[in-house]
Amino acid sequence: MNAPFAGKDGETAFARLCEELRPDLFRFAFWLARDRQVAEDVVQEAMLRAWRSRESLDETASAKQWLLTIVRREHARLYERKRFKTVQLDELVSDESPELAMAEEREVLDMRRAIFALDDDYREPLVMQVLMGFSTDEIARQLGLTQGAVLTRLFRARQRLRRDFGVTGSAEDDES
Amino acid sequence: MNCLEFRRAAGADPHRLSTDAIAHRDACPQCVAHLRQLLAMDATIRKALQITVPPGRKAGDIAPRAPAVAAAVFANPRRWYALAASILGGVLVGVVLWASGPRNALARDVLGHIAHEPESLVVTQVPADAERVREVLARDGVRLRSNMGLVSYVMSCSFRGHEVPHLVVQTAGGPVTVLVLRDEPATRAMKFHEQGYVGTIEPAGPGSIAVIGGSAAQVQEAAERVEAAIEWITP
Repeated sequence: MNAPFAGKDGETAFARLCEELRPDLFRFAFWLARDRQVAEDVVQEAMLRAWRSRESLDETASAKQWLLTIVRREHARLYERKRFKTVQLDELVSDESPELAMAEEREVLDMRRAIFALDDDYREPLVMQVLMGFSTDEIARQLGLTQGAVLTRLFRARQRLRRDFGVTGSAEDDES
Repeated sequence: MNCLEFRRAAGADPHRLSTDAIAHRDACPQCVAHLRQLLAMDATIRKALQITVPPGRKAGDIAPRAPAVAAAVFANPRRWYALAASILGGVLVGVVLWASGPRNALARDVLGHIAHEPESLVVTQVPADAERVREVLARDGVRLRSNMGLVSYVMSCSFRGHEVPHLVVQTAGGPVTVLVLRDEPATRAMKFHEQGYVGTIEPAGPGSIAVIGGSAAQVQEAAERVEAAIEWITP
C-alpha cells in the first residue's frame, strides 16, 4: 500500500497539509456548528485523530475529503457527547454576532446572517460546494445522499438566499 | 433544455454547467442575465463564508502534546535526544522558510486565494459587466486604456489586508486568474508552478500583478494583455 504520510518525511508532509487545510476545515466546522468555540474544539480533535491515523491515508489527493469526513464525524461525536441544549436561532446569532459582524461590506454581512439562518440541510452542502470546492457528486458521497437530493438542496439554498436578498425571480424560479 | 430546467441546474451549481445548459445559456439572453445574478451572489456567499480563522496548533504540534505521547517522551531519556533533534530540525526548517521568504509566501497566498474562486476554472464566453470591471480597477487606482479581451469575472477581494481587483480573463487556452496587487511590490518577475497551476508575479506600477492559469502559454498571453491594457493612475 502506498503510504505518503508514513515516516519522518510523511510527518512533515502531513503537518504541512494540515496547516494548509486548517483554515477551510475551521470555517467548515464553524458553519456546521455555528459556534466558534465548538468549531475550534472540533478541528483540534479532528486534527489529533487525523495525526494518529495519518499512515492509513494512501493518497495525498484524497486528504481533503478524508479530513472533512473526520471533522464531520467529530462534530457529530461532540454533539452526541455534550447533548447541547436546543437553542433558538436568535440566541445563536446573538452569541456569534461579533463573528457575523466581521465583514467589511454590508452585503457580505447580510449574506453571512442569511447563511447562518439557513437550515442545516441546506447550509452544509452549500458550504461544501462554495467554500470547499466539492462537486455535487463528492458532496453526495460525503452526506450519503443521492446526487439528485444534493442538487435539490443546493438549488433551494440559493433560492432561499435570493429571496432573503429580495432578488425576485420569475415564476419558473419560484418553485419550491 | 428550457428556461426552467436551466434555472434549476444553474441554481444548484452555477459554476459547472452541462453541455445542454451551456447551449441553452448561449441562446437565451434572459438566462444569461439570471446566471450572472447567480454568479454574483455566489461570489458574495464565498466572501461571507470566509470568516476569520484563529491561529491554531498544527497537527505536528498536537501529537507531542497529547498526554500519552508526552508521557512516553519524558519517561525515556533517549527520547530527550530525539526531542532535541526534532526541535533543532524545526528551527532549521523555520530558518529555511524564513530565508526563502516573502516571494514564496506571496505565491502561496495567491494560490490560497484562488482556491476559493472556482470561477477561475470555468471556461465561458459570458463577459462580466464592463462597467463593473472599470469600477473595481478604479478603486485600486487603475484605468483601462485598452481592451484586455474577454473578462468573465471581476470582484474586489480582500487579500493580505487590502481590497484588490480579482479578474478572470478568458484566453484561447482557457481561463486565467489575475490579481492586481498595488501593495505587493516586486523587483523582478517570479514564476511558479504549484498545485497544478502555473503562475507568475510580475512587477507592475507601484506593485505587481499575479497571473495564474493552467499553462505557461495561457499565463503569458493573459499577462501581456493585462499589462498592455492597464494604466496606474495613482502612484
